[in-house]
Amino acid sequence: MFKILLEQILNGLVLGSMYALVASGLTLIWGTMKMLNFAHGELYMVGGYILYFAFTLLGVSPFWGILLAIGIAFAVGLFLERLLLHPLMDKPGWDVSPLVVTLGVSIFLQNFALKAWGERFKSVPYFIEGTMELAGFRIAYQRILILVVTATVMVAFWMFVKRSRFGVALRATAQDREAATLLGINAHRIYMYTFGISSALAALAATMLAPIFLINPWMGISPLLKAFIVVVLGGLGSFGGAILGGFLLGTLESLSVVLLSSEWKDVVSFAVLILVLFFRPSGFFGTREW
Amino acid sequence: MRRGVALVTRRGKGVAVLMVVLLALPLFIQDPYIINIMIFSLLFGVLAVSWNLISGYTGIFTFGHQAFFGVGAYLSALLSMKLNLSPWLGLPLGGFAAALIGGFIGLPCLRLRAAPYIAITTLAFSEIARIICMNLVGLTRGEMGLWGIPAFPDFTLPGGLEVSFSGGNRTGYYYVLLLIFFATTGFVAWLLRSHVGLAFRAIREEQEAALSLGINSTRYRLLSFLISSFLAGIAGSFYAHYILILTPTSVFSVGVMSEIIVVVLVGGLGTFWGPVIGAFSLTLLLEYLRTFGEYRFMIYGAMLVATILFMPKGVASKIFPEKG
Repeated sequence: MFKILLEQILNGLVLGSMYALVASGLTLIWGTMKMLNFAHGELYMVGGYILYFAFTLLGVSPFWGILLAIGIAFAVGLFLERLLLHPLMDKPGWDVSPLVVTLGVSIFLQNFALKAWGERFKSVPYFIEGTMELAGFRIAYQRILILVVTATVMVAFWMFVKRSRFGVALRATAQDREAATLLGINAHRIYMYTFGISSALAALAATMLAPIFLINPWMGISPLLKAFIVVVLGGLGSFGGAILGGFLLGTLESLSVVLLSSEWKDVVSFAVLILVLFFRPSGFFGTREW
Repeated sequence: MRRGVALVTRRGKGVAVLMVVLLALPLFIQDPYIINIMIFSLLFGVLAVSWNLISGYTGIFTFGHQAFFGVGAYLSALLSMKLNLSPWLGLPLGGFAAALIGGFIGLPCLRLRAAPYIAITTLAFSEIARIICMNLVGLTRGEMGLWGIPAFPDFTLPGGLEVSFSGGNRTGYYYVLLLIFFATTGFVAWLLRSHVGLAFRAIREEQEAALSLGINSTRYRLLSFLISSFLAGIAGSFYAHYILILTPTSVFSVGVMSEIIVVVLVGGLGTFWGPVIGAFSLTLLLEYLRTFGEYRFMIYGAMLVATILFMPKGVASKIFPEKG
């Protein structure tokens, strides 16, 4: 029993790292633009399909496939922000309008995928075959790869936001847009790139998970709902909170599969979300914006 | 002042004409296909009007209306199947059950102000409702679907006119739903003119200012949740006894919520006629686009985006410019 629990916790961490990736994109957008992106799950889905087509049509290696997916998702993100969100900003109704516009994009992309690519689930091979044995545990290399990639990307992204010129500009805009503009930062360009980066993070998560889960038009719905839970747990807008929240939710889910059953694990997650919102709406590190 | 009075009477005439047309429609058109479309327009009308009350007028942008619709549908269906309760009783009971859930969902939302937080909270609740409905296979048969739901029992009107709900005749259903629709829109219109409606709008505009004027914001926001969910529950109950088969996906899915949002936003959020216009025009449009297959939902999504970008106040504001 103890061994099963440990194994599940490990699985939970792998899953949680993906939740953290998806959620960090969502929280990044909230932190800078003060909006919730309902199309985030569909950007994730687009990432999965690009990987699939990179494999089947171009026949490239996983590395180039992932890079292509990230690149295209980044471009789609830029495009969406410039075309749909930029015109709505600074107008009355900004609290609700991005929610509705991104919901429209989400409906559109889901049904576009259904029409263009069909409802049949598509699978891609594992990037690395085989399993590793470690102290009696068996772990697939793919899962280890997921953990390593997430950790690397998170650290790299953290450094990027803390150290680079763009990162400083990003944080400045998030803190006080007017002051940042006065200092010569083009806030709208920051928003555009933020959206692009957020989309790229979602696409990266999708490509890493594609061999484990299958690719289909609705694959983005569940990660988006999970990411909502994670960002609230961590506090909307908090990057560290999204990572901590992601790992916590992954572990919680895996444990509730063992202790309860897989059918009820989502109820546990949503119930935790509601309890957090009821007793501590700001999450771990959130601000008083609720 | 004089102009205001004239405006009211003109609008009053318009409403009277609309009512007569809707009442007389089955006398001229008996085609069950068209009656079915009209029934769905009215059903979405009730759902849209009820969601608009909380999201458009009270300013609480909820994302969980499908839970109220689903609870009303499943409760009424199960009561009539397991306990042989009359579907007529199921209508109000479905509404009350939904209102109970609505109050429960509303409670944690009372502390939240930011739209994204409220959207996430209500979405989480409705997902819990969907999963519970899916997992209680012994009661609801889960994804296999609940079928064999009894239709409304036939009855005879005092004049000797028989109202039948069996077979291919849908006119009876049409009139029942039309009554629900009139009652809903009439009630909401009355509510919005009363001090309650004024309080709702005051809370939407500026919560602190409303508080300072002595409006008990918590109480009114909860009231808004209760009324809105009650109306959606009745719509759900009607749907169950009309369509006669329920699955968790058909009533509890986020897709139901998306359709309500499209209807209200395209029609006009926070306007009285917006949801009604949206429900009729979009249901008819969707039917017209049926030949386009999956494209129609792409068009739906694109329309939502276009509305927000180019006509944020919706179609209704173009037809009936409303003051305040």
